[in-house]
Amino acid sequence: MAVVQVAGLVKHYGAVKAVDGASLTVAAGEIYALLGLNGAGKTTTIRTLLGMIRPTAGSVRLFGTPVTADARSLWGRVGYLVETPAAYPELTVTENLTLMARLKHLPAAAVGNVVEQLGLRPYAARRARELSLGNQQRLALAKALLGRPELLVLDEPANGLDPAGVTEIRQLLKTLAAQGTTILLSSHILAEVAKLATRIGIIHAGRMVTEIAAADLPHHVARALRVRCHDQDTAARILRQGGYQPLSNLDGMLSMTDERAVWHPDEVATLLVESGCPPVHLAVAEEDLETLFLRLTARGAGA
Amino acid sequence: MKAAWSAEWLKLRRSRVPWMTVLAISVGAAAGGLFMFISLHPGRAGDLGLLGAKAQLSTLEPSWPSFFGLLAQITAVGGVIIFGITVVWMFGREFADHTAKDLLALPTHRAAIVAAKFAAATVWCLLLAVYLTAAGLGIGLLLGIPGPLTVPVAAAGVGRIFVTAVLTIAITTLFGLAASVGRGYLPGVAVLFAVVFTAQIVAALGYGAWFPFSVPAMHAGLTGADGPSPVGYAAVGAMAFVAVTATIGWWQRADHTG
Repeated sequence: MAVVQVAGLVKHYGAVKAVDGASLTVAAGEIYALLGLNGAGKTTTIRTLLGMIRPTAGSVRLFGTPVTADARSLWGRVGYLVETPAAYPELTVTENLTLMARLKHLPAAAVGNVVEQLGLRPYAARRARELSLGNQQRLALAKALLGRPELLVLDEPANGLDPAGVTEIRQLLKTLAAQGTTILLSSHILAEVAKLATRIGIIHAGRMVTEIAAADLPHHVARALRVRCHDQDTAARILRQGGYQPLSNLDGMLSMTDERAVWHPDEVATLLVESGCPPVHLAVAEEDLETLFLRLTARGAGA
Repeated sequence: MKAAWSAEWLKLRRSRVPWMTVLAISVGAAAGGLFMFISLHPGRAGDLGLLGAKAQLSTLEPSWPSFFGLLAQITAVGGVIIFGITVVWMFGREFADHTAKDLLALPTHRAAIVAAKFAAATVWCLLLAVYLTAAGLGIGLLLGIPGPLTVPVAAAGVGRIFVTAVLTIAITTLFGLAASVGRGYLPGVAVLFAVVFTAQIVAALGYGAWFPFSVPAMHAGLTGADGPSPVGYAAVGAMAFVAVTATIGWWQRADHTG
């Protein structure tokens, strides 16, 4: 069953198109990452999902129920963290969580559980204003996790966390998803969400550019066979005669992106050796995730 | 509603607002006591340097009804600022601390949260009025205000203070709306000052009897024997109803982008 259904979502603020026809579906137990640059429309989409913003057009459903500000029956099933972590600075960690537990109609015992889960026990009696940025983020995540919601909507959940914290939260979210929690998160770091998400939706300028199953991500990564010989001009001529399409790079290497070269570099090596121009360097180079992300969003911008 | 109330009361209780407002009301009570001391002992006040050459305190009679009237006027004039700042804080802090977004998608209805904010502010402001009255009575007894403090005199005086407090609290609801729509303290404070100035001007022009923002001060007796008209009292109620309804409507319907 689809837990989140967004269809043709449009949100305009005057002439500004914050979201321009985005659609996405998140199935139960899935970890869906909404990936985009700052201002791409991630937070507007998330706020609309949570009934904080009314869409100009399109529909938003959670658990099959249309989202409205009055849809209170939904909110007991949803935990969320939107943008920067926030807490009442004069209240302690425990008081902040107790207050939120009351508003979520949860028993006081729910507070102890999330305090343990997020490693906040040493800071339980500390005022929120005295917390580090990382611990403020943990507190915000703890508020979202109160009562083990069926759906977690997390806007940039790794913000402010140190590398150990990022790994810890990633593991926690994976565990929750394995136990049946559906997670929709946003990020602008592909390398991070690639380690966590089961599916990635790339949003740019308010439009969904593409959706990729995390398992398929390697297939979207651009590859090139890079070759260096003692005589690059001769090597290029031999390769062209062999049906390849080598391009000269700025660093002097020859580069080929056609599948025959990328997936069978041994054939390229054999051709060059047999033609009397053996390679001194031959390797398949993979595009890193950040470059892939920028390439995909650039494609979206050009669409 | 119970959850929202306990949350709002906890936030208010743990903030600096209680101490700051108690301090401000204490200054008001002390000022009332000072004026009554000067009225009771003008010679000694002059000797102590408490009176300037142009001091005009002849209208304050050294009596309990007069002292209660002074406390009611302090409630009306000081209250609109002190109670107003309490209401502005209740709403404006959610935007200053970026916590408003955490109140929007909860099993507790947004209307209950807004109502709880107004309720917590109202209860606190009424407690401030109780404190002002108690402090005033103590100061009055200490100063030895002449005339018996009979039950009818005390009931009439205390009643006047509390009706003034309720009227003042009612007009401060507008500041909750301003702090919400303006998403912060500053718009609420700006409207508060606009109201204070407008109330003075309208009262000076002679229309204060029906102008809601002038009604609390007129009820307290600031403009003499003439009280507000029934239309004025109704206008205060209507304005409070509209402000509370509009605030709930705004939290319910506005696009919450920040």
